[in-house]
Amino acid sequence: MEQQAEHGQHPLLKELVIEASQALARLDAERLEELALSCQALNRDLARLDGDARRVLVPQAKDAAKDMAVFARVLEATRSNLDVMNRLRERRLGQLEYRAGFGPEWRRTESGHGNN
Amino acid sequence: MGTINSALSIISQALDANQQALNVVANNVANANTPGYTRETPDWKENQPLNENGNLIGQGVSETGATSQRDRVLLTRMDQQQQLVSSTGSRLTALNTLQALFTVDSGSTSSKAGDIGSDITSFFNSFSKLEANSTDNSLRQGVLSAAGTLAGDISNAAASLNEQRSALDQETSGVADQVNSLTSDIAQLNVQIQTTSPTGDAGTLEDQRQLDLTDLSKLVGINQITSNNNGLAITTTSGQLLVSNGSSYTMTTGLVGGVTDFFVGNTDITSQLATGGGSLGGNLTARDQDIPSAINSLDQLAYSISTAVNQQNNAGTDYDGNTGTAANPLNIFSQPTTVAGSAASMSVVMTDPNQIAAASLGNGTGDNSNAVTMAELASKGIVNGETPTNYYSNFVTTLGSTVSNVETENTAQTASLTQLQTQNDALSGVNLNDEASSLSTLERSYQAASKVFSILNTVMASVLNLGEQTTVS
Repeated sequence: MEQQAEHGQHPLLKELVIEASQALARLDAERLEELALSCQALNRDLARLDGDARRVLVPQAKDAAKDMAVFARVLEATRSNLDVMNRLRERRLGQLEYRAGFGPEWRRTESGHGNN
Repeated sequence: MGTINSALSIISQALDANQQALNVVANNVANANTPGYTRETPDWKENQPLNENGNLIGQGVSETGATSQRDRVLLTRMDQQQQLVSSTGSRLTALNTLQALFTVDSGSTSSKAGDIGSDITSFFNSFSKLEANSTDNSLRQGVLSAAGTLAGDISNAAASLNEQRSALDQETSGVADQVNSLTSDIAQLNVQIQTTSPTGDAGTLEDQRQLDLTDLSKLVGINQITSNNNGLAITTTSGQLLVSNGSSYTMTTGLVGGVTDFFVGNTDITSQLATGGGSLGGNLTARDQDIPSAINSLDQLAYSISTAVNQQNNAGTDYDGNTGTAANPLNIFSQPTTVAGSAASMSVVMTDPNQIAAASLGNGTGDNSNAVTMAELASKGIVNGETPTNYYSNFVTTLGSTVSNVETENTAQTASLTQLQTQNDALSGVNLNDEASSLSTLERSYQAASKVFSILNTVMASVLNLGEQTTVS
């Protein structure tokens, strides 16, 4: 990786960020997990690079700043979608565990409060 | 015998039920490519058991119908996201056209509106050149030529902006008819749904209504409120009623201040629609906010340069020894009376280069001190406290920043909508286990993306703050 960096063969930070945004948009969990590993490796390599080698990445980092902003917004939107989907899931599960009974229209079954 | 009959009955009903279930599946397959079609799953009902001498004998199951696998909460959220995507999408298209006016074309030295920044510099530089030899006619001619280029580019840019605004106005005026057609359809579907299926899912009728809602969301920002018997009320995001069960309320248009405004009844809802979403919201924001803001900036620039330069020229003495008066001013540019409209009307009125007052008042015609003062206007805060070049540069930068922000929003909203569509597709016609799997993919993607973001953020911060050690994880 270090050698690759010296020869400019690292994928550009911008490309990494754009690919992460796109993978998140299409919910490609596997690709995102691969990218997470790549980023970990990049971070480790970066710690070993000297000042000059790191300076090569400065324009790349500046170039990728706007795409990081996009990635942050996609991540935020995903968090929001995840909240909605979790609430929907809870509601569906709740409907399974509630049923018409005596008195109140809906009552929780025993499994619902964990006393069984 | 009863037992054999019961067994046969169970088998027979099970076969019937399976046949009906197969019909539901076949229906799903046949409609797989129908836009807006929601998959159906068969509903099973346990038959009442027979009591044979105190023994309960099962009677199998019957298929009681089919239920569309739709989730209103998710669909409503998708519609809301669609409104945002359409709004930022149409605004972005308009902003890109606007920005292109001020962006230097590839392989060229100027943009469609010329290069106003360079024009400003060239114009004030022409006075610097005149300082060297204030009696040189070609240098005097050079001042008028540079003034003409500057005025021409600013007025052309203003004209292009006005044309763009008119084109957007034309485009938006047609949306009312599309909205009315959809709200009328939805009202009719409401009646059919309330009549045929007041308590349950109405299948294809609801598919059609959902398709109309999605189309409506592409056009305007709406709120959906479910009403009795499976009905639906629709309002604009600001609460103006568009549909209430079987009634729809017509949206009309009218010219107000030279542009198309939108009404429901007698209420002007244009500003509400602009902030509400949909392509209409985005186009109205561009028409009523972004383009007027750009025109105002150009107006301010044109007004300030024209006024400052004219005032200074009238404060000096021209080549023929004349000084400007109220009756016979020595104006280089046409003098605007108000800021509004200054850019569109900016022009050079001086035709005789001898009228350039390079000399200060009372000095001989060979004097250059007023030309020096004119050149120095370039570095004075004559446009709202800023130098002309900085003012224009800030205007272009602000415009670029707006485009960039809207682009970011649009990309993120489109990604979010894609995710919701993926989730909705996964939800239709699957069991709770499959649904959990789909949710798990969403959760996994989010977790992995959070990790990628966190590491990249660290990497970028580390690179941009050279010398800091990165955290090794």
